[in-house]
Amino acid sequence: MQLSTMAKKPELSPEQRKTVKKARLWQQIRANGWSYVYLAPMALLLLVFIIYPLFASLGYTLYQWNGIGDPSNFVGLANFVRVLHDGIFWEAFLHTFIYTLVLVPVQLLLALALALILNNPKMRFSTFYRSVYFIPVVTSAAVIGIVVRLILTNFGDNVNQLLLNLHLIHSHIDWLADPHFALGIIIIVGIWNTLGYNLVYFLAGLQTIPTELYEAAELDGAGPIARFFYIVVPMLRSVGLIILILAILGSLQVFDLVQVLTAGGPYFSTEVVNTYIYHQAFGGFSSTVTQPDIGLASASSFFYGLILIVLSFIQVLIFRYSASRRAEQRLA
Amino acid sequence: MTFLATITANIQRKRLNSYRHYMVRRRLLGLLTHVILLVCGVLWMYPFLWTLGSSFKSIDGFFNEGLNIFPKEFEWSNYVQAWNEASFGQFFFNTVFVTVLTVICTLLFASMAGYVLARKSFPGKKYFIGLIAITLFLPHGYTILPVFDIVQRLGLLNTLWSIILVQTAGGMVFSTFLFMGYFTAIDRELDDAARVDGANFHQLFWRVLFPLSGPMLATVALFTFIGTWNSFLIPLVFTLGQPQLQTLAVGMFAFIGQNSTQWTYLCAGSVITLAPIMLVFILLQRYFINGIAGAIKS
Repeated sequence: MQLSTMAKKPELSPEQRKTVKKARLWQQIRANGWSYVYLAPMALLLLVFIIYPLFASLGYTLYQWNGIGDPSNFVGLANFVRVLHDGIFWEAFLHTFIYTLVLVPVQLLLALALALILNNPKMRFSTFYRSVYFIPVVTSAAVIGIVVRLILTNFGDNVNQLLLNLHLIHSHIDWLADPHFALGIIIIVGIWNTLGYNLVYFLAGLQTIPTELYEAAELDGAGPIARFFYIVVPMLRSVGLIILILAILGSLQVFDLVQVLTAGGPYFSTEVVNTYIYHQAFGGFSSTVTQPDIGLASASSFFYGLILIVLSFIQVLIFRYSASRRAEQRLA
Repeated sequence: MTFLATITANIQRKRLNSYRHYMVRRRLLGLLTHVILLVCGVLWMYPFLWTLGSSFKSIDGFFNEGLNIFPKEFEWSNYVQAWNEASFGQFFFNTVFVTVLTVICTLLFASMAGYVLARKSFPGKKYFIGLIAITLFLPHGYTILPVFDIVQRLGLLNTLWSIILVQTAGGMVFSTFLFMGYFTAIDRELDDAARVDGANFHQLFWRVLFPLSGPMLATVALFTFIGTWNSFLIPLVFTLGQPQLQTLAVGMFAFIGQNSTQWTYLCAGSVITLAPIMLVFILLQRYFINGIAGAIKS
């Protein structure tokens, strides 16, 4: 519309056009005043609590600051150098990596198997089972942390006693206080905690597969295994990819579970990147960090954020790729 | 050729099997599946069942009965003690206050924004949608320090309002997207019909579109409710050293640090924390699961 009206007035100079355009823009903005008012609360919250902090945290990285008063001790990029040379940061990085590397495949395979069983239309009580396996997802991490700690702690007739009776272990083990076991326990609890999400994702994906495909394959004599590899796997490829990426990004950002189970201890053996940042910024529950170091915390969070942004970017690319492939499949 | 041959062989074999034999095998397999699913399900739910059971145990019972789900004697007073002495009552009301207001703010602001983004055209709209699409992909949780600083500057540190504001902001983009999608899917002829009947900008939203968005309101409310009720980092950071402002999640965590012996109160507190969420989830799970499933499909 704007283009056609402008084409009718060729006598206007570029500057005049600009003023006309500006006036028009102003007119349009005024005409839509209420639209901006409706948008305002959301936009304001977004600006103040999401977008501004993204830039502000970048500023903090340049200062040595304990969080009291205004940052004044400018240190340039020293905080980044400190992060890159901090052994505990890299240890935390390694733990986060191990957590993701073990949790994601185990959880996804379990969730897929369960989804395949529950997707059977003849399956009775499948909604009930789905709820049962989903419930840990809606549970607060604080409760999970406390309950798991109580069940595993060394008193009375507990898990240790049971395992001793079964001759699976030879002596009492303080599971969460032992550097050999703590991360493993956190991974197991993590698998239990968020499996429900992936179960529902896979169920949604499986429901997009037309049942006629299974019936046709069954008529052709394909058994359950053949049906899985020749129907489910190719049909779930794009959704599965998204599920995989979401699971990876989710586990790389683990915080609550670790904080409530071990707070990164014992001896930093379960410190993940997010608990490391938290401990640098707000002091530790059990670790030795006491003096807040906002600059270092911001630098490490910014550095790790960059890694995640790169991963998210790859994720967007893969989304695009799989969407275009789906479109091609539809055309073919 | 060999593929075809195997297929025909398969069909023949299947025909040879009597139908009854096939059904018996199928039934047994189905039964076995149910047994496995049930046993695993009980194990899966065990932490919750144990917590519920232990919340009724006496201190002695807690130590002697260990992993037992069912208490030998019921000690109801755990709940009274947890509610009054361990201030779980206070934590509960703090959590309810924060959660209810966060849900209301999220529903209002996100639906209003979703309405204008889906229905109106105004300068800058495209840029704005692009901006929020980008923030949707950015990793969250890395900005807690500047947010802390802003809250401090606004003078809201150590108030429940800070939790409500930050929590609402955190879920805003996702909720707005959900509402935008929902309103876009509603036929635009409805707007024209309403306008013919004399509805203005406000009436179109409050009288026509908002009442129509029931399922989406339920989905967003449920997501926000669960997310806020369980939220840990945000209330932790904004109520550090203010026990009377703590929510259930944070308060319980602080309790374990201070009183390392009253385990049964802690179990009662866990049940107090979990019960509302479980209840809401069981009643409204359809909306929650549809919301999650919808997110992956689109």
